[in-house]
Amino acid sequence: MTQDTDQTEQVEHGENGSAEPAAADSQQSSDSSTGLDREGEIAADFLETLLDIADLDGDIDVDVDGDRAAVAIVDSEEGRVPRRLVGQDGKVLEALQELTRLAVQAETGERSRLMLDVAGHRAARREELTRIAADAAAAAKDTGERQSLEPMSAFERKVVHDAVLAAGLGSESEGVEPRRYVVVLPQQ
Amino acid sequence: MLEEALEHLVKGIVDHDDDVVVQHKDGRRGEMLEVRVHPDDLGRVIGRSGRTASALRTVVGALASGRNVRVDIVDTDQVR
Repeated sequence: MTQDTDQTEQVEHGENGSAEPAAADSQQSSDSSTGLDREGEIAADFLETLLDIADLDGDIDVDVDGDRAAVAIVDSEEGRVPRRLVGQDGKVLEALQELTRLAVQAETGERSRLMLDVAGHRAARREELTRIAADAAAAAKDTGERQSLEPMSAFERKVVHDAVLAAGLGSESEGVEPRRYVVVLPQQ
Repeated sequence: MLEEALEHLVKGIVDHDDDVVVQHKDGRRGEMLEVRVHPDDLGRVIGRSGRTASALRTVVGALASGRNVRVDIVDTDQVR
């Protein structure tokens, strides 16, 4: 299995023009998605072993979301993922993501931007942020005034910027990390 | 379990995984996990502004479920 991935890597670097594409199981996969698939595999192994050692329930889902590998620890049939792996304000989740990215980087030699989710925490937070953004956009339209939101992480601000844009308004970030926040701008 | 989990996390992020040693110590000030790595890997385990060390402590804290466990990354130059 690992050999296949290594071959794909070499093909990516264009060193081996005559290499046959491995058994055409994913004909459409581009260079970048093979790289992302590999990131996901390494991350899944790393997390699976951690769950085993700690004797915690949970399955690992691997996917590709745009230009990032997306890995999720989800509830399994045996039992739920312990919520302490999310932690207060997702603090443990962020730490796990950081370590998982480093583990991927140690194997591939390249920085990883993979996203980790645990028990749907990020997905739920994304929905919440989208709602906050829509409310702020509506308020900016109604009042014609700038709407300053709570401080958020870079990832959260990105979600808000995108949602504000979808509502037809613009936004910008102000303040200094870790208290940087989004300001929704009324139409000029 | 905890030292095994921490060892797995640290081994995952270093170059010299054979040199990773995690020892569990029960001291007067509570439980402690001492981490030793190859000197070349020390920077990796600590990270920029201690970011990686802090992530390791956060995850160990979560796995310890309430127990107060310290994580000490030993700079081998300082210890014999």
